[in-house]
Amino acid sequence: MDFLAEGFRRALALLFSADAEVTGIALLTLKIGLLATLVACGLGIPVGFMLATKAFWGRRAALTVVNTALAFPTVVVGLLLYGFLSRRGPLGGLEWLYTWQAIVVGDVLLAFPIAAALAAAAVQGVDPRIRRTAQTLGAGRWRTAWTVAREARFALAAVITTAFGHVVAEIGSAMTVGGNIRGQTRTLTTAVALYTSQGDFGLALALGLILLLLALLVNVALQVLQGRGGVGHA
Amino acid sequence: MLELVGVVHRYESRIVLDIERFQVPPGSGVAIVGPNGSGKSTLLRLLALLERPTQGEVRLDGAVVTGTSGARRRVTLVEQRPVLFRGTVRENLRFGLEVRGTKRTDVNRVIDNVAGRLGITSLLNRRRHELSDGEVQRVAVARALAVEPDVLLLDEPTSSADRAAAQTLYRALAEERARRPLAICLASHQLEDAYRWADDVRALAEGKLAPVTPENLFRVELPPGTGDAGLKHVCVGSIEVAATTDKTGPAILAVSPTDIFVSREPLASSARNVFSGRVTRLSHRRPGVVHVAADVGVELVAVITEDAVRDLGLVPGGPVVFSFKASAVRVF
Repeated sequence: MDFLAEGFRRALALLFSADAEVTGIALLTLKIGLLATLVACGLGIPVGFMLATKAFWGRRAALTVVNTALAFPTVVVGLLLYGFLSRRGPLGGLEWLYTWQAIVVGDVLLAFPIAAALAAAAVQGVDPRIRRTAQTLGAGRWRTAWTVAREARFALAAVITTAFGHVVAEIGSAMTVGGNIRGQTRTLTTAVALYTSQGDFGLALALGLILLLLALLVNVALQVLQGRGGVGHA
Repeated sequence: MLELVGVVHRYESRIVLDIERFQVPPGSGVAIVGPNGSGKSTLLRLLALLERPTQGEVRLDGAVVTGTSGARRRVTLVEQRPVLFRGTVRENLRFGLEVRGTKRTDVNRVIDNVAGRLGITSLLNRRRHELSDGEVQRVAVARALAVEPDVLLLDEPTSSADRAAAQTLYRALAEERARRPLAICLASHQLEDAYRWADDVRALAEGKLAPVTPENLFRVELPPGTGDAGLKHVCVGSIEVAATTDKTGPAILAVSPTDIFVSREPLASSARNVFSGRVTRLSHRRPGVVHVAADVGVELVAVITEDAVRDLGLVPGGPVVFSFKASAVRVF
Protein backbone atom coordinates (compact mmCIF):
# COMPACT_ATOMS: atom_id res chain seq x y z
CA MET A 1 0.00 0.00 0.00
CA ASP A 2 2.91 2.34 0.76
CA PHE A 3 4.10 1.72 -2.72
CA LEU A 4 0.79 2.88 -4.19
CA ALA A 5 0.47 5.88 -1.87
CA GLU A 6 4.02 6.95 -2.66
CA GLY A 7 3.17 6.62 -6.35
CA PHE A 8 0.15 8.93 -6.01
CA ARG A 9 2.18 11.47 -3.99
CA ARG A 10 4.87 11.52 -6.66
CA ALA A 11 2.27 11.82 -9.40
CA LEU A 12 0.57 14.81 -7.80
CA ALA A 13 3.90 16.50 -7.15
CA LEU A 14 4.90 16.10 -10.79
CA LEU A 15 1.56 17.35 -12.00
CA PHE A 16 1.61 20.50 -9.87
CA SER A 17 5.28 21.25 -10.52
CA ALA A 18 4.62 21.37 -14.28
CA ASP A 19 7.61 19.15 -14.96
CA ALA A 20 9.03 20.00 -18.40
CA GLU A 21 9.30 16.40 -19.54
CA VAL A 22 5.80 15.52 -18.40
CA THR A 23 4.38 18.67 -20.02
CA GLY A 24 6.19 17.90 -23.27
CA ILE A 25 4.87 14.35 -23.39
CA ALA A 26 1.34 15.52 -22.64
CA LEU A 27 1.41 18.23 -25.30
CA LEU A 28 2.79 15.85 -27.93
CA THR A 29 0.09 13.32 -27.08
CA LEU A 30 -2.57 16.02 -27.34
CA LYS A 31 -1.21 17.21 -30.69
CA ILE A 32 -1.06 13.70 -32.14
CA GLY A 33 -4.46 12.77 -30.70
CA LEU A 34 -6.28 15.86 -31.98
CA LEU A 35 -4.68 15.72 -35.43
CA ALA A 36 -5.34 12.00 -35.87
CA THR A 37 -8.93 12.38 -34.63
CA LEU A 38 -9.50 15.31 -36.97
CA VAL A 39 -8.24 13.40 -40.02
CA ALA A 40 -9.88 10.09 -39.08
CA CYS A 41 -13.27 11.69 -38.37
CA GLY A 42 -12.96 14.05 -41.33
CA LEU A 43 -12.66 11.02 -43.59
CA GLY A 44 -14.56 8.42 -41.59
CA ILE A 45 -17.77 10.32 -40.80
CA PRO A 46 -18.56 11.11 -44.47
CA VAL A 47 -17.80 7.48 -45.34
CA GLY A 48 -20.15 6.41 -42.54
CA PHE A 49 -22.83 8.73 -43.95
CA MET A 50 -22.40 7.17 -47.35
CA LEU A 51 -22.55 3.63 -45.97
CA ALA A 52 -25.73 4.49 -44.09
CA THR A 53 -27.58 6.39 -46.78
CA LYS A 54 -26.40 5.30 -50.23
CA ALA A 55 -27.43 2.08 -51.90
CA PHE A 56 -24.49 0.88 -53.96
CA TRP A 57 -23.00 -2.40 -55.04
CA GLY A 58 -20.74 -3.81 -52.29
CA ARG A 59 -22.23 -1.66 -49.53
CA ARG A 60 -22.86 -4.61 -47.25
CA ALA A 61 -19.31 -5.90 -47.81
CA ALA A 62 -17.91 -2.42 -47.10
CA LEU A 63 -19.86 -2.27 -43.83
CA THR A 64 -18.52 -5.69 -42.87
CA VAL A 65 -14.94 -4.60 -43.62
CA VAL A 66 -15.32 -1.42 -41.57
CA ASN A 67 -16.88 -3.28 -38.66
CA THR A 68 -14.17 -5.93 -38.77
CA ALA A 69 -11.49 -3.24 -38.80
CA LEU A 70 -12.82 -2.02 -35.45
CA ALA A 71 -11.15 -5.00 -33.85
CA PHE A 72 -7.87 -4.65 -35.72
CA PRO A 73 -4.98 -5.11 -33.21
CA THR A 74 -3.07 -1.85 -32.86
CA VAL A 75 0.28 -3.59 -32.91
CA VAL A 76 -0.55 -5.24 -36.24
CA VAL A 77 -1.48 -1.87 -37.73
CA GLY A 78 1.83 -0.56 -36.41
CA LEU A 79 3.67 -3.50 -37.93
CA LEU A 80 2.10 -3.05 -41.37
CA LEU A 81 2.75 0.68 -41.26
CA TYR A 82 6.33 -0.03 -40.21
CA GLY A 83 6.70 -2.11 -43.37
CA PHE A 84 5.40 0.74 -45.51
CA LEU A 85 7.44 3.47 -43.85
CA SER A 86 10.72 1.59 -43.42
CA ARG A 87 13.56 2.56 -45.73
CA ARG A 88 12.81 -0.34 -48.11
CA GLY A 89 9.03 0.16 -47.96
CA PRO A 90 6.93 1.92 -50.59
CA LEU A 91 6.61 5.05 -48.40
CA GLY A 92 10.21 4.97 -47.16
CA GLY A 93 11.01 8.13 -49.12
CA LEU A 94 8.90 10.14 -46.71
CA GLU A 95 11.37 9.34 -43.91
CA TRP A 96 8.52 9.37 -41.42
CA LEU A 97 9.52 6.24 -39.48
CA TYR A 98 10.19 7.10 -35.83
CA THR A 99 8.55 10.52 -36.18
CA TRP A 100 5.36 11.85 -34.62
CA GLN A 101 3.86 11.99 -38.13
CA ALA A 102 4.15 8.20 -38.34
CA ILE A 103 2.23 7.89 -35.08
CA VAL A 104 -0.49 10.16 -36.52
CA VAL A 105 -0.78 7.98 -39.63
CA GLY A 106 -1.04 4.84 -37.49
CA ASP A 107 -3.66 6.43 -35.29
CA VAL A 108 -5.66 7.59 -38.32
CA LEU A 109 -5.64 4.03 -39.65
CA LEU A 110 -6.93 2.81 -36.29
CA ALA A 111 -9.54 5.52 -35.76
CA PHE A 112 -10.90 5.67 -39.31
CA PRO A 113 -12.96 2.45 -39.07
CA ILE A 114 -14.24 3.57 -35.67
CA ALA A 115 -15.42 6.87 -37.13
CA ALA A 116 -16.94 5.24 -40.21
CA ALA A 117 -18.70 2.37 -38.43
CA LEU A 118 -20.06 4.44 -35.56
CA ALA A 119 -21.10 7.30 -37.87
CA ALA A 120 -22.97 4.80 -40.06
CA ALA A 121 -24.75 3.47 -36.99
CA ALA A 122 -25.50 7.02 -35.79
CA VAL A 123 -27.00 8.05 -39.13
CA GLN A 124 -28.97 4.83 -39.43
CA GLY A 125 -30.43 5.66 -36.04
CA VAL A 126 -31.94 8.92 -37.31
CA ASP A 127 -35.63 8.75 -38.19
CA PRO A 128 -35.72 8.24 -41.99
CA ARG A 129 -38.53 10.79 -42.21
CA ILE A 130 -36.01 13.53 -41.33
CA ARG A 131 -34.07 12.85 -44.50
CA ARG A 132 -37.21 12.55 -46.63
CA THR A 133 -38.63 15.77 -45.15
CA ALA A 134 -35.44 17.71 -45.89
CA GLN A 135 -35.47 16.38 -49.45
CA THR A 136 -39.13 17.13 -50.07
CA LEU A 137 -38.60 20.68 -48.83
CA GLY A 138 -36.03 21.06 -51.59
CA ALA A 139 -32.74 20.49 -49.73
CA GLY A 140 -29.86 19.29 -51.87
CA ARG A 141 -27.43 16.54 -50.92
CA TRP A 142 -25.27 18.57 -48.53
CA ARG A 143 -28.09 20.38 -46.79
CA THR A 144 -29.90 17.06 -46.32
CA ALA A 145 -26.75 15.49 -44.86
CA TRP A 146 -26.28 18.47 -42.53
CA THR A 147 -29.90 18.21 -41.37
CA VAL A 148 -29.48 14.50 -40.62
CA ALA A 149 -26.17 15.22 -38.85
CA ARG A 150 -27.88 17.79 -36.61
CA GLU A 151 -30.40 15.18 -35.57
CA ALA A 152 -27.61 12.70 -34.85
CA ARG A 153 -25.37 15.23 -33.13
CA PHE A 154 -25.11 13.36 -29.82
CA ALA A 155 -24.22 10.10 -31.50
CA LEU A 156 -21.75 11.85 -33.80
CA ALA A 157 -20.12 13.60 -30.83
CA ALA A 158 -19.78 10.17 -29.26
CA VAL A 159 -18.04 9.03 -32.47
CA ILE A 160 -15.45 11.81 -32.09
CA THR A 161 -14.84 11.18 -28.39
CA THR A 162 -14.57 7.43 -28.98
CA ALA A 163 -12.08 7.99 -31.80
CA PHE A 164 -10.04 10.41 -29.66
CA GLY A 165 -10.14 8.05 -26.70
CA HIS A 166 -8.93 5.18 -28.86
CA VAL A 167 -6.15 7.27 -30.40
CA VAL A 168 -4.68 8.62 -27.14
CA ALA A 169 -4.97 5.26 -25.38
CA GLU A 170 -3.37 3.05 -28.03
CA ILE A 171 0.22 1.96 -27.54
CA GLY A 172 0.98 -0.79 -30.06
CA SER A 173 1.19 1.35 -33.17
CA ALA A 174 2.77 4.36 -31.41
CA MET A 175 5.53 2.17 -29.99
CA THR A 176 6.21 0.35 -33.28
CA VAL A 177 6.32 3.30 -35.68
CA GLY A 178 7.22 6.04 -33.18
CA GLY A 179 9.96 4.25 -31.34
CA ASN A 180 9.30 6.01 -28.01
CA ILE A 181 12.13 8.48 -28.57
CA ARG A 182 12.51 10.92 -25.68
CA GLY A 183 11.48 14.44 -26.60
CA GLN A 184 10.39 13.39 -30.10
CA THR A 185 7.93 10.50 -30.23
CA ARG A 186 7.35 9.68 -26.58
CA THR A 187 3.60 9.80 -25.94
CA LEU A 188 1.73 9.31 -22.68
CA THR A 189 1.03 5.61 -23.29
CA THR A 190 4.53 4.70 -24.46
CA ALA A 191 6.01 6.66 -21.58
CA VAL A 192 3.76 4.93 -19.05
CA ALA A 193 4.91 1.55 -20.38
CA LEU A 194 8.57 2.61 -20.27
CA TYR A 195 8.54 4.15 -16.77
CA THR A 196 6.57 1.24 -15.34
CA SER A 197 9.13 -1.21 -16.71
CA GLN A 198 11.88 0.99 -15.24
CA GLY A 199 10.18 0.90 -11.83
CA ASP A 200 9.32 4.63 -11.77
CA PHE A 201 5.75 3.99 -10.71
CA GLY A 202 5.08 7.58 -9.60
CA LEU A 203 6.02 9.08 -12.96
CA ALA A 204 4.03 6.41 -14.80
CA LEU A 205 1.03 7.12 -12.59
CA ALA A 206 1.34 10.88 -13.13
CA LEU A 207 1.30 10.35 -16.88
CA GLY A 208 -1.66 7.99 -16.55
CA LEU A 209 -3.58 10.63 -14.61
CA ILE A 210 -2.82 13.20 -17.30
CA LEU A 211 -4.13 10.77 -19.92
CA LEU A 212 -7.40 10.53 -18.01
CA LEU A 213 -7.50 14.31 -17.63
CA LEU A 214 -7.02 14.79 -21.38
CA ALA A 215 -9.87 12.44 -22.18
CA LEU A 216 -12.06 14.28 -19.67
CA LEU A 217 -11.18 17.70 -21.12
CA VAL A 218 -11.94 16.65 -24.69
CA ASN A 219 -15.29 15.20 -23.61
CA VAL A 220 -16.21 18.39 -21.77
CA ALA A 221 -15.13 20.53 -24.73
CA LEU A 222 -17.31 18.48 -27.09
CA GLN A 223 -20.29 18.76 -24.80
CA VAL A 224 -19.87 22.52 -24.67
CA LEU A 225 -19.64 22.62 -28.48
CA GLN A 226 -22.87 20.66 -28.75
CA GLY A 227 -24.59 23.47 -26.93
CA ARG A 228 -27.45 23.05 -24.54
CA GLY A 229 -28.55 19.80 -26.08
CA GLY A 230 -29.84 17.89 -23.12
CA VAL A 231 -33.01 15.86 -22.91
CA GLY A 232 -36.00 17.96 -23.78
CA HIS A 233 -34.12 20.36 -26.01
CA ALA A 234 -35.13 18.82 -29.29
CA MET B 1 -48.88 18.22 -64.73
CA LEU B 2 -47.39 15.60 -62.40
CA GLU B 3 -47.95 12.03 -63.51
CA LEU B 4 -46.94 8.43 -63.07
CA VAL B 5 -46.75 6.42 -66.27
CA GLY B 6 -46.51 2.63 -66.42
CA VAL B 7 -45.35 2.40 -62.84
CA VAL B 8 -44.70 -0.89 -61.12
CA HIS B 9 -43.04 -0.54 -57.74
CA ARG B 10 -41.66 -3.40 -55.67
CA TYR B 11 -40.39 -3.79 -52.13
CA GLU B 12 -38.13 -6.83 -52.19
CA SER B 13 -40.01 -8.91 -54.76
CA ARG B 14 -43.52 -7.88 -53.68
CA ILE B 15 -45.40 -5.55 -56.01
CA VAL B 16 -46.82 -2.71 -53.91
CA LEU B 17 -47.96 -0.46 -56.72
CA ASP B 18 -49.04 -1.22 -60.27
CA ILE B 19 -50.45 1.83 -62.03
CA GLU B 20 -50.80 2.40 -65.76
CA ARG B 21 -51.33 6.16 -65.48
CA PHE B 22 -52.02 8.56 -62.63
CA GLN B 23 -52.21 12.28 -63.23
CA VAL B 24 -52.35 15.34 -61.03
CA PRO B 25 -53.28 18.18 -63.41
CA PRO B 26 -52.17 21.76 -62.57
CA GLY B 27 -54.44 23.42 -60.03
CA SER B 28 -56.47 20.26 -59.45
CA GLY B 29 -57.66 18.69 -56.22
CA VAL B 30 -57.20 14.95 -56.35
CA ALA B 31 -58.03 12.59 -53.49
CA ILE B 32 -56.83 9.02 -53.28
CA VAL B 33 -58.88 6.86 -50.99
CA GLY B 34 -58.33 3.30 -49.96
CA PRO B 35 -57.84 1.08 -46.97
CA ASN B 36 -54.60 0.97 -44.98
CA GLY B 37 -51.89 -0.85 -46.91
CA SER B 38 -53.46 -0.13 -50.29
CA GLY B 39 -50.35 1.76 -51.48
CA LYS B 40 -51.46 5.37 -50.92
CA SER B 41 -48.29 6.45 -49.09
CA THR B 42 -46.03 4.70 -51.60
CA LEU B 43 -47.87 6.43 -54.44
CA LEU B 44 -47.31 9.81 -52.78
CA ARG B 45 -43.61 9.10 -52.16
CA LEU B 46 -43.15 8.28 -55.84
CA LEU B 47 -44.98 11.46 -56.86
CA ALA B 48 -42.78 13.40 -54.41
CA LEU B 49 -39.66 11.97 -56.13
CA LEU B 50 -38.48 10.52 -52.83
CA GLU B 51 -38.40 7.00 -54.28
CA ARG B 52 -37.74 5.90 -57.82
CA PRO B 53 -40.27 3.47 -59.26
CA THR B 54 -38.87 0.01 -59.94
CA GLN B 55 -40.39 0.31 -63.41
CA GLY B 56 -42.02 3.22 -65.18
CA GLU B 57 -41.66 6.99 -65.09
CA VAL B 58 -42.56 10.03 -63.09
CA ARG B 59 -43.19 13.00 -65.35
CA LEU B 60 -43.44 16.66 -64.51
CA ASP B 61 -44.89 18.81 -67.29
CA GLY B 62 -44.24 15.97 -69.71
CA ALA B 63 -40.55 15.56 -68.89
CA VAL B 64 -39.27 12.46 -67.13
CA VAL B 65 -37.84 13.45 -63.74
CA THR B 66 -35.68 11.72 -61.18
CA GLY B 67 -35.03 12.64 -57.57
CA THR B 68 -33.24 15.90 -58.11
CA SER B 69 -33.64 18.79 -55.70
CA GLY B 70 -34.62 21.08 -58.61
CA ALA B 71 -37.73 19.05 -59.46
CA ARG B 72 -38.39 18.36 -55.78
CA ARG B 73 -38.69 22.08 -55.16
CA ARG B 74 -41.92 22.06 -57.17
CA VAL B 75 -43.49 19.09 -55.36
CA THR B 76 -43.73 18.85 -51.58
CA LEU B 77 -45.02 15.98 -49.48
CA VAL B 78 -46.42 16.08 -45.95
CA GLU B 79 -46.23 12.58 -44.55
CA GLN B 80 -48.95 10.91 -42.52
CA ARG B 81 -46.95 11.21 -39.31
CA PRO B 82 -44.74 14.17 -40.12
CA VAL B 83 -41.60 15.00 -38.16
CA LEU B 84 -40.27 18.40 -37.29
CA PHE B 85 -36.59 19.23 -37.34
CA ARG B 86 -34.69 20.14 -34.21
CA GLY B 87 -35.43 23.74 -33.29
CA THR B 88 -38.48 25.94 -33.04
CA VAL B 89 -41.54 25.92 -35.25
CA ARG B 90 -40.31 29.17 -36.82
CA GLU B 91 -36.99 27.53 -37.66
CA ASN B 92 -38.88 24.63 -39.23
CA LEU B 93 -40.91 26.99 -41.40
CA ARG B 94 -37.70 28.77 -42.35
CA PHE B 95 -36.02 25.58 -43.63
CA GLY B 96 -37.50 25.35 -47.12
CA LEU B 97 -37.23 29.12 -47.63
CA GLU B 98 -33.52 29.12 -46.72
CA VAL B 99 -32.94 26.20 -49.08
CA ARG B 100 -34.46 28.32 -51.85
CA GLY B 101 -32.35 31.33 -50.95
CA THR B 102 -35.32 33.50 -49.99
CA LYS B 103 -34.23 36.94 -48.78
CA ARG B 104 -34.07 37.28 -45.01
CA THR B 105 -36.49 40.19 -45.09
CA ASP B 106 -39.07 38.08 -46.92
CA VAL B 107 -38.65 34.96 -44.78
CA ASN B 108 -40.35 36.31 -41.66
CA ARG B 109 -43.16 37.87 -43.69
CA VAL B 110 -43.88 34.53 -45.40
CA ILE B 111 -43.68 32.61 -42.11
CA ASP B 112 -46.04 34.99 -40.28
CA ASN B 113 -48.46 34.90 -43.19
CA VAL B 114 -48.65 31.09 -43.48
CA ALA B 115 -48.70 30.64 -39.70
CA GLY B 116 -51.67 33.02 -39.50
CA ARG B 117 -53.56 31.11 -42.18
CA LEU B 118 -53.06 27.78 -40.41
CA GLY B 119 -53.68 29.13 -36.92
CA ILE B 120 -50.24 28.30 -35.58
CA THR B 121 -48.93 31.80 -34.82
CA SER B 122 -48.92 31.06 -31.09
CA LEU B 123 -46.75 27.99 -31.71
CA LEU B 124 -43.95 29.71 -33.63
CA ASN B 125 -41.50 29.79 -30.74
CA ARG B 126 -42.25 26.32 -29.44
CA ARG B 127 -40.07 23.27 -29.97
CA ARG B 128 -41.27 19.96 -31.32
CA HIS B 129 -41.56 18.23 -27.97
CA GLU B 130 -43.92 20.99 -26.81
CA LEU B 131 -46.48 20.23 -29.55
CA SER B 132 -49.34 17.73 -29.79
CA ASP B 133 -49.56 15.36 -32.78
CA GLY B 134 -52.29 17.51 -34.32
CA GLU B 135 -50.16 20.66 -33.94
CA VAL B 136 -47.17 18.91 -35.51
CA GLN B 137 -49.37 18.00 -38.46
CA ARG B 138 -50.52 21.61 -38.93
CA VAL B 139 -46.95 22.91 -38.63
CA ALA B 140 -45.83 20.38 -41.23
CA VAL B 141 -48.53 21.56 -43.65
CA ALA B 142 -47.56 25.18 -42.98
CA ARG B 143 -43.90 24.31 -43.59
CA ALA B 144 -44.86 22.79 -46.94
CA LEU B 145 -47.13 25.69 -47.94
CA ALA B 146 -44.45 28.24 -47.03
CA VAL B 147 -42.31 27.14 -49.98
CA GLU B 148 -45.23 27.58 -52.40
CA PRO B 149 -44.91 24.31 -54.33
CA ASP B 150 -46.77 23.70 -57.60
CA VAL B 151 -48.01 20.38 -56.21
CA LEU B 152 -48.74 19.68 -52.55
CA LEU B 153 -49.02 16.03 -51.57
CA LEU B 154 -50.76 15.29 -48.28
CA ASP B 155 -50.86 11.87 -46.65
CA GLU B 156 -53.81 11.65 -44.24
CA PRO B 157 -53.36 15.31 -43.22
CA THR B 158 -56.11 15.26 -40.61
CA SER B 159 -55.41 11.88 -39.03
CA SER B 160 -54.28 13.51 -35.77
CA ALA B 161 -56.47 16.61 -35.97
CA ASP B 162 -59.72 17.32 -34.19
CA ARG B 163 -62.70 18.55 -36.20
CA ALA B 164 -61.92 22.26 -35.75
CA ALA B 165 -58.26 21.80 -36.71
CA ALA B 166 -59.26 19.76 -39.76
CA GLN B 167 -61.64 22.51 -40.86
CA THR B 168 -58.94 25.14 -40.41
CA LEU B 169 -56.61 23.04 -42.51
CA TYR B 170 -59.08 22.50 -45.35
CA ARG B 171 -60.03 26.19 -45.29
CA ALA B 172 -56.35 27.16 -45.55
CA LEU B 173 -55.88 24.75 -48.45
CA ALA B 174 -58.93 26.15 -50.24
CA GLU B 175 -57.65 29.72 -49.73
CA GLU B 176 -54.25 28.74 -51.06
CA ARG B 177 -55.81 27.21 -54.17
CA ALA B 178 -57.93 30.31 -54.69
CA ARG B 179 -54.84 32.50 -54.34
CA ARG B 180 -52.57 30.70 -56.80
CA PRO B 181 -52.54 27.66 -59.11
CA LEU B 182 -51.77 24.92 -56.60
CA ALA B 183 -52.49 21.26 -57.28
CA ILE B 184 -53.22 19.16 -54.22
CA CYS B 185 -53.16 15.39 -54.11
CA LEU B 186 -54.41 14.00 -50.83
CA ALA B 187 -54.49 10.44 -49.56
CA SER B 188 -57.20 9.65 -47.07
CA HIS B 189 -59.30 6.84 -45.81
CA GLN B 190 -62.08 9.32 -44.98
CA LEU B 191 -64.34 9.61 -47.98
CA GLU B 192 -66.23 12.54 -46.51
CA ASP B 193 -63.10 14.65 -46.39
CA ALA B 194 -62.13 13.60 -49.88
CA TYR B 195 -65.50 14.49 -51.39
CA ARG B 196 -65.71 17.75 -49.47
CA TRP B 197 -62.96 19.44 -51.37
CA ALA B 198 -61.51 17.19 -54.11
CA ASP B 199 -62.50 17.57 -57.77
CA ASP B 200 -61.54 14.01 -58.46
CA VAL B 201 -61.69 11.05 -56.05
CA ARG B 202 -59.84 7.87 -56.99
CA ALA B 203 -59.85 4.56 -55.21
CA LEU B 204 -56.70 2.56 -54.62
CA ALA B 205 -56.83 -1.07 -53.60
CA GLU B 206 -53.96 -3.56 -53.35
CA GLY B 207 -51.67 -1.11 -55.17
CA LYS B 208 -54.00 -0.70 -58.14
CA LEU B 209 -56.40 2.04 -59.09
CA ALA B 210 -59.77 0.42 -58.54
CA PRO B 211 -62.14 0.46 -61.50
CA VAL B 212 -65.02 1.51 -59.25
CA THR B 213 -66.03 4.47 -57.11
CA PRO B 214 -64.27 4.54 -53.75
CA GLU B 215 -67.33 3.87 -51.60
CA ASN B 216 -68.19 0.40 -50.37
CA LEU B 217 -64.73 -1.07 -50.90
CA PHE B 218 -63.84 -3.93 -48.61
CA ARG B 219 -60.81 -6.14 -48.26
CA VAL B 220 -62.10 -9.69 -47.83
CA GLU B 221 -61.00 -13.30 -47.70
CA LEU B 222 -62.95 -15.36 -50.23
CA PRO B 223 -63.66 -18.91 -49.08
CA PRO B 224 -62.68 -21.83 -51.35
CA GLY B 225 -65.31 -23.59 -53.47
CA THR B 226 -68.64 -22.23 -54.65
CA GLY B 227 -72.05 -22.50 -53.04
CA ASP B 228 -75.52 -22.77 -54.54
CA ALA B 229 -75.90 -21.34 -58.04
CA GLY B 230 -72.30 -20.07 -58.08
CA LEU B 231 -72.92 -17.83 -55.09
CA LYS B 232 -70.35 -17.20 -52.39
CA HIS B 233 -71.19 -15.77 -49.02
CA VAL B 234 -68.39 -13.48 -47.94
CA CYS B 235 -67.95 -12.06 -44.45
CA VAL B 236 -67.75 -8.26 -44.49
CA GLY B 237 -67.66 -6.87 -40.98
CA SER B 238 -70.61 -8.44 -39.20
CA ILE B 239 -72.66 -9.18 -42.33
CA GLU B 240 -72.46 -11.82 -45.06
CA VAL B 241 -72.53 -10.52 -48.61
CA ALA B 242 -73.64 -12.81 -51.45
CA ALA B 243 -71.41 -12.45 -54.51
CA THR B 244 -71.02 -14.32 -57.78
CA THR B 245 -67.37 -15.18 -58.13
CA ASP B 246 -65.17 -18.22 -58.52
CA LYS B 247 -62.13 -16.51 -56.98
CA THR B 248 -60.69 -17.58 -53.64
CA GLY B 249 -58.33 -16.00 -51.12
CA PRO B 250 -57.66 -12.29 -50.46
CA ALA B 251 -59.66 -9.93 -52.68
CA ILE B 252 -61.32 -6.54 -52.85
CA LEU B 253 -65.10 -6.50 -52.87
CA ALA B 254 -66.91 -3.44 -54.23
CA VAL B 255 -70.53 -2.40 -54.48
CA SER B 256 -71.31 0.68 -56.51
CA PRO B 257 -73.50 3.13 -54.53
CA THR B 258 -75.76 3.47 -57.57
CA ASP B 259 -76.46 -0.29 -57.55
CA ILE B 260 -78.03 -0.20 -54.07
CA PHE B 261 -81.82 0.06 -53.73
CA VAL B 262 -82.92 2.10 -50.73
CA SER B 263 -86.23 1.49 -48.95
CA ARG B 264 -87.81 1.77 -45.53
CA GLU B 265 -88.98 -1.88 -45.47
CA PRO B 266 -87.45 -5.04 -46.99
CA LEU B 267 -88.60 -5.40 -50.60
CA ALA B 268 -89.80 -8.59 -52.28
CA SER B 269 -87.21 -8.69 -55.05
CA SER B 270 -84.49 -10.71 -56.71
CA ALA B 271 -81.80 -9.04 -54.61
CA ARG B 272 -79.77 -11.61 -52.67
CA ASN B 273 -78.39 -8.97 -50.34
CA VAL B 274 -80.89 -7.22 -48.09
CA PHE B 275 -79.61 -5.41 -45.00
CA SER B 276 -81.51 -3.37 -42.47
CA GLY B 277 -79.83 -0.61 -40.46
CA ARG B 278 -79.84 3.06 -39.50
CA VAL B 279 -78.96 6.12 -41.55
CA THR B 280 -75.70 7.59 -40.29
CA ARG B 281 -75.26 10.47 -42.74
CA LEU B 282 -76.96 12.27 -45.59
CA SER B 283 -74.43 14.13 -47.77
CA HIS B 284 -75.44 16.53 -50.52
CA ARG B 285 -72.41 16.49 -52.77
CA ARG B 286 -74.01 17.41 -56.08
CA PRO B 287 -77.25 19.23 -56.73
CA GLY B 288 -80.19 16.84 -56.63
CA VAL B 289 -78.13 13.87 -55.47
CA VAL B 290 -77.73 12.56 -51.92
CA HIS B 291 -75.20 10.05 -50.60
CA VAL B 292 -76.95 8.00 -47.93
CA ALA B 293 -74.56 6.33 -45.51
CA ALA B 294 -76.02 3.64 -43.29
CA ASP B 295 -74.74 1.30 -40.65
CA VAL B 296 -76.05 -2.12 -41.65
CA GLY B 297 -73.36 -4.06 -39.82
CA VAL B 298 -70.74 -2.25 -41.88
CA GLU B 299 -71.04 1.22 -43.32
CA LEU B 300 -72.50 1.18 -46.83
CA VAL B 301 -73.19 4.19 -49.03
CA ALA B 302 -76.00 4.47 -51.56
CA VAL B 303 -76.67 7.29 -54.00
CA ILE B 304 -80.27 8.40 -54.52
CA THR B 305 -82.06 11.58 -55.54
CA GLU B 306 -83.18 14.28 -53.14
CA ASP B 307 -86.78 13.50 -54.10
CA ALA B 308 -86.29 9.86 -53.07
CA VAL B 309 -84.85 10.93 -49.72
CA ARG B 310 -87.86 13.14 -49.15
CA ASP B 311 -90.38 10.49 -50.26
CA LEU B 312 -88.80 7.83 -48.05
CA GLY B 313 -88.52 10.24 -45.13
CA LEU B 314 -84.89 9.36 -44.54
CA VAL B 315 -83.26 11.14 -41.62
CA PRO B 316 -80.00 10.48 -39.74
CA GLY B 317 -80.69 7.81 -37.14
CA GLY B 318 -83.83 6.64 -38.92
CA PRO B 319 -84.40 3.10 -40.23
CA VAL B 320 -83.37 2.12 -43.75
CA VAL B 321 -82.99 -1.03 -45.84
CA PHE B 322 -80.28 -1.46 -48.46
CA SER B 323 -80.74 -4.13 -51.16
CA PHE B 324 -78.48 -5.15 -54.02
CA LYS B 325 -78.08 -8.12 -56.32
CA ALA B 326 -75.25 -10.61 -55.95
CA SER B 327 -74.22 -9.77 -59.50
CA ALA B 328 -73.79 -6.11 -58.47
CA VAL B 329 -70.96 -7.14 -56.15
CA ARG B 330 -67.64 -6.73 -57.96
CA VAL B 331 -64.70 -8.81 -56.88
CA PHE B 332 -61.13 -8.10 -58.00
